[in-house]
Amino acid sequence: MTRKLGPYAMLLPAFAILGVALGYPLVRQLVMSFQEFGRAQQFGQPAPWVGLDNYRALFTDSTMWGVVTRSLAFCAVNVVVTMLIGTALAVLLKRVNRTARLTLQISMLLTWAMPVIAAMTSWQWLFDTRYGVINWVLTKLGFESFHHHNWLTETWSFYFVATVIVVWMSVPFVMFTVYAALTQVSDDTLEAGQLDGATAWQRFRHIVYPTIRPVLTITMLLQIVWDLRVFAQIYYLQGVGGTPSKTHLLGTYIYTLGIGQNDYAMASALAMFVLVLTLVLTSYYVRSLLKESDA
Amino acid sequence: MSRRTTGRLWSGAAILIALVWAFPVYWIVNSAFQPSDRLRSTDPAWFPVDLTGSGFGRVFDDEFLASLKLSMTVTLIAIVVAGLCAFLGAVAISRFRFRGRLQLVLVVLAIQMIPPEALFVSQYKMLDEWGMFDTVAGLGLLYIAMILPFTLWMLRGFVDGVPIELEEAAMVDGCGRIRAFFTITFPLLAPGLVASSVYGFLQAWNEFTLAVVVMSPDNRTLPLWLRGLSDVSNDAIDWPGVMAGATLVAVPVIVFFMAIQSRMTSGLVSGAVKG
Amino acid sequence: MKLRKLAAAAAATALGLGTLAACGDDSGGGSSEGGSDTLTLWLAGKEDTPTDATDWLKKEFESQHDGKTLKIERIDWGELLTRLNTSLPSDKTPDVVEVGNTQAASFTSIGAFTDLTDKADELGAMGPQSFVDAGTWDDKLFAVPYYWGSRYVFYSKSAFKDAGLEVPKTLADFNAAAQQLKTDGGGDYSGFWLPGQDWRNGISWVFANGGDIAVQDGDKWVGKLSSAESIKGLTEWQQLAEKATTAPKDGKDEEPWTSFNNGEAAMFMAPSWARWSVAEDKADDLGAFALPGAESGAAPVFAGGSNLGISAKSKNQDLAFDLLKLIYSDDYQQLLAKNGLGPANDEFTSLMGDDEFAQAAITAASSSKLTPTSPEWSAVETASVMEEFFGALANGKDVAATAKATDAKLEEMLNK
Repeated sequence: MTRKLGPYAMLLPAFAILGVALGYPLVRQLVMSFQEFGRAQQFGQPAPWVGLDNYRALFTDSTMWGVVTRSLAFCAVNVVVTMLIGTALAVLLKRVNRTARLTLQISMLLTWAMPVIAAMTSWQWLFDTRYGVINWVLTKLGFESFHHHNWLTETWSFYFVATVIVVWMSVPFVMFTVYAALTQVSDDTLEAGQLDGATAWQRFRHIVYPTIRPVLTITMLLQIVWDLRVFAQIYYLQGVGGTPSKTHLLGTYIYTLGIGQNDYAMASALAMFVLVLTLVLTSYYVRSLLKESDA
Repeated sequence: MSRRTTGRLWSGAAILIALVWAFPVYWIVNSAFQPSDRLRSTDPAWFPVDLTGSGFGRVFDDEFLASLKLSMTVTLIAIVVAGLCAFLGAVAISRFRFRGRLQLVLVVLAIQMIPPEALFVSQYKMLDEWGMFDTVAGLGLLYIAMILPFTLWMLRGFVDGVPIELEEAAMVDGCGRIRAFFTITFPLLAPGLVASSVYGFLQAWNEFTLAVVVMSPDNRTLPLWLRGLSDVSNDAIDWPGVMAGATLVAVPVIVFFMAIQSRMTSGLVSGAVKG
Repeated sequence: MKLRKLAAAAAATALGLGTLAACGDDSGGGSSEGGSDTLTLWLAGKEDTPTDATDWLKKEFESQHDGKTLKIERIDWGELLTRLNTSLPSDKTPDVVEVGNTQAASFTSIGAFTDLTDKADELGAMGPQSFVDAGTWDDKLFAVPYYWGSRYVFYSKSAFKDAGLEVPKTLADFNAAAQQLKTDGGGDYSGFWLPGQDWRNGISWVFANGGDIAVQDGDKWVGKLSSAESIKGLTEWQQLAEKATTAPKDGKDEEPWTSFNNGEAAMFMAPSWARWSVAEDKADDLGAFALPGAESGAAPVFAGGSNLGISAKSKNQDLAFDLLKLIYSDDYQQLLAKNGLGPANDEFTSLMGDDEFAQAAITAASSSKLTPTSPEWSAVETASVMEEFFGALANGKDVAATAKATDAKLEEMLNK
């Protein structure tokens, strides 16, 4: 009866908006991935149907698979590190007094809120080969080899710097979200558990974890999606140093093949590919999430 | 060690972490106060020496205020509308069992996985056809759609985290379903609402491409304004100015957070029923 | 009953959205009205064209065309291409637009601009030739030169004096001077600040020896980096990278004055506006000269600058051309020159000044070159092909082999 109508009505506004603002563009993007659509088409030339050509070009591109592998590795490392640090800090937040909590929250918020261009430039200067603070401090501490050390030349070092920056920028979100989830854990139940003799770890596992699990999973999912597609930080670092063809990840590679060349069709095909890749990657977590919600 | 001492140690650690983590941010603000040629020098400029000749003076002008106003308007519209819709949707998905529920959940998830880089071309054409080019409503609509999916996704997680038994217990006591929800569950969602609205705020606040495409050059949001400070072709970039500009762009986010943080946690949680 | 309340809330939200959507234009109207009473000019960069010039232009245009307004919009370089790509094909198109000289080909090749070949004579003297070429496609002129900049070498007068050096007259002299300055300076000192991936300056060595990046042979582009002349220049450059500098091997061309300001470099090469970024306490010591050519005169260097085009979809074609005529008028050209922007009409070049900086600029621009006029060149730049090429050379790779490989890559990308 009305009970059945309730949820649909509640979901209507959300899906109405999504349908309107995203529906048509998404369909168009899918269609475009099967066409030839570059600048010429933007300016009125007809868009010929090329079927799977864009996709074929994509999959036969030799550098593509290297990019995918590196992206997967980068994503894995970043997600793990970010989730660990973020969750640990969230737990810390719960334990400390109000002043410390507020200080840490503000610090993280500042990190989160800083426009990427300023944050990237700041990090660039900190890691600068000749005049960076990091090299300066390390040299003063006695590590002479860091005098004018170039952090971006070696590919693995490039990714190290990128990871530091991406983790630095991503932890705030995880921390705030997991902390919010932690506040939902009932203190009374925790106390009861402690009185019953449960250890901290047991309390975490049986009381805290089940409550925050949905949020942890969702946060991890989002991190995977974003870290797989990371663009701004890599793009920016590539403009500072290193060898671009060796440091491309999916985000920047898509950019060079698609928008960077005004090849919107290729960009669309790439977008579809990344979508499928992401779905495959996260299928395990998606399934566990759906299982939970059915419980 | 006594509990108090460990407590103090942890608090100390938290503050230390906070300071170290924020160092790059400190560096940004510091740079805003330095003269250009001190920014990259053999001896780092640790502290601002002269607070008067700062980048802030150079960039704080009418253009900034106009951009601030526009960004504020569009962003607030986006998070309020998206927040409401997402909240309704999250409750629906979390608390109700209905046909198509799983599929809807998947759709919401899938939407977030689509790289948006190529969408803006079609979105521009669409708004143009509807006569919504260069309108707050047009950009607002796109922003709402941008932050809706993950807000819904996140809120659902938070609603899931509040066991339905709590509401049912209250209902046994005679509360109606909705009242039970708003007195028991909703206060517990406050931190979750804060987290997701801050994130939504940030996404809309810092969005660039759609703002370029949908709005005319006279109506620039803050990210465009900031980019404009650093996109000079026949001149050197005024980095202290850019850093000052970035700080100005970040400040409203902090203000927003403080505002909803205090309102939400005190106003809602204080009335929360324990256990 | 409660659920109906919730459903009502949902419906109300949806209604609110609908109203929002129907609200239409409630921001300050900024875009061009499209009618023929307003002519819209898009200039790139906040301050690139000085305000005296734009004020003059607006005054003159409106006084010459009764009842018409000239709307000048400043578009940031970072937004320019995106905005052009979305608005030029629409009916909200601006009438006259400025584009970077290297960006012109992307638009001229797809009919975004009006063909001006027949009317070009009405504009008068037009140069530099490389800019005219940049705006030409299929033998038709679509984008006319607007202004040019140039790049030259900045040097420390005291460093030269201490080393007993004079301003070099040939490229070989320059190379020798740079190496000597490094040896004299010792440690971290650079005789010439030469970042490894800085191809925009590095390419001058190729040009100076008669080489090139790529040339069009009929319909196809042929890479020229592996020609004998280019290789000679590249080898010289590689020597410098090894012996004359301590700059990072993967460094780019941004802010080259930083090392100079820190007293760690004797020379650096940059566009003319870099002068104002040199630290105040070094300003007196600063001098300038155009990079010398292989035999004499100046080496061909990359010219910065812009072109102007009339949007093909503009409804004000005649008015737009009148604006171009105003821009090419003596008064406006003089305004450009006096503000340090190289005018299209070389009659007024001397107005740019007569201090050593202006002289260096003028000499350097006398033989400027541009990137290959291909719409695919932007893809080459996005893929950082040239950066990686020079970076490889800076790291000591074999010049001939690397040049050949890069040529193949260029040909693949340009002949798409």
